[in-house]
Amino acid sequence: MQVKKEVRQIAREMLRASFTDGQLDRGRVASVVDSILAKKPRNYLKILEYYKRLLRLEAEKRHARIETATALEPQITSQISLNLARRYGTDLTTEFAINQALLGGMRIRVGSDVWDSSIRNRLERLQQQL
Amino acid sequence: MSSILEEIETKIAGLKTSTTKSNIGTVRETGDGVARIEGLSDVMLNEMIEFPGGVFGLALNLEETEVGAILLGDATKISEGDEAKTTGRLLSVPVGKGLLGRVVNTLGEPLDGKGEVKSETFYPLEKIAPGVIKRRSVSQPVQTGIMAIDAMIPIGRGQRELIIGDRATGKTTIGIDTIISQARLNKAGEDSKSKDYRPLYCIYVAIGQKNSNVARVLAVLEKEDAMRYSTIISAPASDSATNQYLAPFAGAAMGEWFMDNGMDALIIYDDLSKHAVAYRQVSLVLKRPSGREAYPGDVFYLHSRLLERAARVSDEYGGGSVTALPIIETQAGDVSAYIPTNVISITDGQIYLETDLFYQGVRPAISVGLSVSRVGSAAQIKAIKQVAGKVKLDLAQFRELAAFAQFGSDLDAATKARLDRGQRIVELFKQIQYNPIPVELQVAVMWAMQNGFIDPVPVERVKEFQNKLQDFLQTRKESLLASIRQKKQLDAELEANLKATLEEFSATKPVG
Repeated sequence: MQVKKEVRQIAREMLRASFTDGQLDRGRVASVVDSILAKKPRNYLKILEYYKRLLRLEAEKRHARIETATALEPQITSQISLNLARRYGTDLTTEFAINQALLGGMRIRVGSDVWDSSIRNRLERLQQQL
Repeated sequence: MSSILEEIETKIAGLKTSTTKSNIGTVRETGDGVARIEGLSDVMLNEMIEFPGGVFGLALNLEETEVGAILLGDATKISEGDEAKTTGRLLSVPVGKGLLGRVVNTLGEPLDGKGEVKSETFYPLEKIAPGVIKRRSVSQPVQTGIMAIDAMIPIGRGQRELIIGDRATGKTTIGIDTIISQARLNKAGEDSKSKDYRPLYCIYVAIGQKNSNVARVLAVLEKEDAMRYSTIISAPASDSATNQYLAPFAGAAMGEWFMDNGMDALIIYDDLSKHAVAYRQVSLVLKRPSGREAYPGDVFYLHSRLLERAARVSDEYGGGSVTALPIIETQAGDVSAYIPTNVISITDGQIYLETDLFYQGVRPAISVGLSVSRVGSAAQIKAIKQVAGKVKLDLAQFRELAAFAQFGSDLDAATKARLDRGQRIVELFKQIQYNPIPVELQVAVMWAMQNGFIDPVPVERVKEFQNKLQDFLQTRKESLLASIRQKKQLDAELEANLKATLEEFSATKPVG
């Protein structure tokens, strides 16, 4: 996707205006989008498109996906959520998923960081080393 | 057997405890040997990125929301949405003596079917060149075995000498001749068990060439038994632009191992024009801004950082060296094009090959006026300096006079003598390919020319005279050649000996 410099700049400014106290603010996002729709500057659709992408990437940074081979007990899931929130801040959203391909163990992804203690990962590493 | 079991045990034990942390991203688009990846927030420039299926990439563009990476290996295995992982490693190639005699690709993987490359050491492709403190000036010669080069445009160990010319003017041949000459010298050095002799190992990097050309070079080197001291790195035209772009850096890394271990290496980059084209392709696909002739802005830095890695280090650091012979192909003799001017300004001199001379039968077709070695006579043994000191000047004057003399037939004796001498020097410097001449023989032949022994010979028979003289010296005066080789300079005794020998040879009326 070829994006013009001007479009990128405006979208970045919009993103900067969407935060309150370092956290994404739904109300601000809505008002920023509304103001663009009202003004309709040149390339406004592309600006919104790029802004959406930046928002998605920003949201991904604040989202944790926890994969396990079998379903976890509620007590453990709440403990994990709590621990992650302590590390990444309270605005972190969590999502639990079952992935049988892991065979066992757990895999946590927050943004582009991944903690992997799954059996599959260990087997893959063993395969590489041998 | 038990040691293998123990090794596996420790490896498994190492895996038990750990939870691995990695940094990953998602492939957003891929094509033309390039992938764009979202995420990878911790990636470093030039870091290796691992894709599923064992394919690796190299992070070249770090942008605001994504990373542009070039792919090494089979790019068709990667699809949109795949996970890519940082590795924390820089791209490295195997180095060491295990590579001698081998043909490998850019990543150091064997292409010759002779099994695995035996090497335990790996060097990163990109490395900062030795600094000023580590270096010393160039003073040891690289004997190319080509008389015109050794006499007029000497190359020293640690120098960067450009070979430039149009297509089919014998650029590669000069490189191959140099490798063959080194192989013969290395072999003689090994046989004599002399401690002073420093072997010169050769690395030939073929970039964007036809596979048939590489096969031909390999066949010649094998026939001359030169592969024992050489490595060929092949990134042929059918290879990806990524591999072609990285091949010279792999060659430099392999050469640096020799330098770091106190040995000497010679690298031939054949050729950097195609290298620049491959880099242009990679850059354009990565959407980097383009400049003159659509090359990216850092194409100068690309070649300067590569060639800067050729150096001679001081004795405290082992005294090794890397000599670079980059090759550039010009279009219709235009040396003022972008890439040729860049590389000319980076190197310590150039050997310019002319199409006209080539078709006149002057082979190697070295243009004396445009060729230069900025290291000069520091890279010549004294004997060559004694006999070839004025040859370049003589030849340059000859070319000027020859152009002038076309207009008139009345010439004074001095001019005529200069023209005659010039014609004979040109004849002497003609040399068939893959036939390097040992330095002591060069000294003897040039001494004969300097002292007028060749003047009575008709111009068209000079070559015949020279061949017979070489045969005579090699078969009957081996001791004379040996003493030139050992003393490395001509003293009164040697000169008297040479004079007697040449008189004896002339008396046999070799050309009637």
